[in-house]
Amino acid sequence: VRLISVLVVMTAVGLGWYVAKTSALVVTFLYMVMVA
Amino acid sequence: MKMMYGMLIALTPAVLYSLYAYRLQALLLVLTGILSAVAAEAIYQKVTGKKVTVKDGSAAITGTLLALAVSTSTPLYALGISAAFGIIAGKQLLGGVGKNLFNPALFGRLFYLFVFADSILPWRRPVDMTTAATPLEILRESGEAAAALDVYSVADMFLGRIPGTIGEISALALLLGAGFLIYKKYVRWRIPASILATVLVLSIVAGQNPLFHLFAGSLILGSCFMATDPMTSPRYPKGQLIFGIGIGLIIMSMRWWGWQTPGVYEFTEGTTFAILAMNLAVPYLNSKLKPARKKS
Repeated sequence: VRLISVLVVMTAVGLGWYVAKTSALVVTFLYMVMVA
Repeated sequence: MKMMYGMLIALTPAVLYSLYAYRLQALLLVLTGILSAVAAEAIYQKVTGKKVTVKDGSAAITGTLLALAVSTSTPLYALGISAAFGIIAGKQLLGGVGKNLFNPALFGRLFYLFVFADSILPWRRPVDMTTAATPLEILRESGEAAAALDVYSVADMFLGRIPGTIGEISALALLLGAGFLIYKKYVRWRIPASILATVLVLSIVAGQNPLFHLFAGSLILGSCFMATDPMTSPRYPKGQLIFGIGIGLIIMSMRWWGWQTPGVYEFTEGTTFAILAMNLAVPYLNSKLKPARKKS
């Protein structure tokens, strides 16, 4: 579930934003730094 | 290319010590890390029609570093998936070596800490493999470095007689490798020097044993082998010092925050987060802190 959530966040941000790739990586980094 | 293989030579003492400390499990982890990273890079480059560059050794370094940064309790599939994620998302997505924003080994480690958080524990002592708390866990529970030093001496931490990830436990093995890298000028010495100096100063200010903070956790592994990645660290001296001081400040603030409010933040180690956060500042540091050209 956690693996899928990372991939979903990355893909959603990348496609929505759409070199989108940078923002997808930064948002994924911030998302993982997931409160647990 | 020469630098990449120099890095692998520098990692040899830490790898050998991990094999002595954790035997077959360490061997399997290191092999899994390397093979997964190299395979992920080759497959991604094949699929996207790019030139396959696994011979440059950078994927093998990423795999080795990630393997050294996990515990013996880690299932091999968890390390394999994390290494592949670090290579594809952390490095290849933006175009490969030289274009990556984050250190791929650390990006893979952050992924591992999040996705496989429940497979990190238990920590095990070297050689006898009994479960035990790490020095930083004792610090977090007690709030005192002295409490951890009652269990493990500074010599234990320096030589590697403490539980931890397979590659971080022996400061001696890591410093031997770091010395080789600095002697060969494969890494920018200002970065590890400024990180370690910041940690030393802040631990003295906090009234704690500075050697404890120096040898605990993955500080030396991170500062000498990961923060110095030439692709994701600042090019110019002033930027390197700011980068290192920033990493040191974040690491120490996370260690303090971790033990001052137990239960709020359970990870005792801030090295991964600190270096990745400062990786984000590198483009800014490179553009704003270019040294002025000398007039001829």
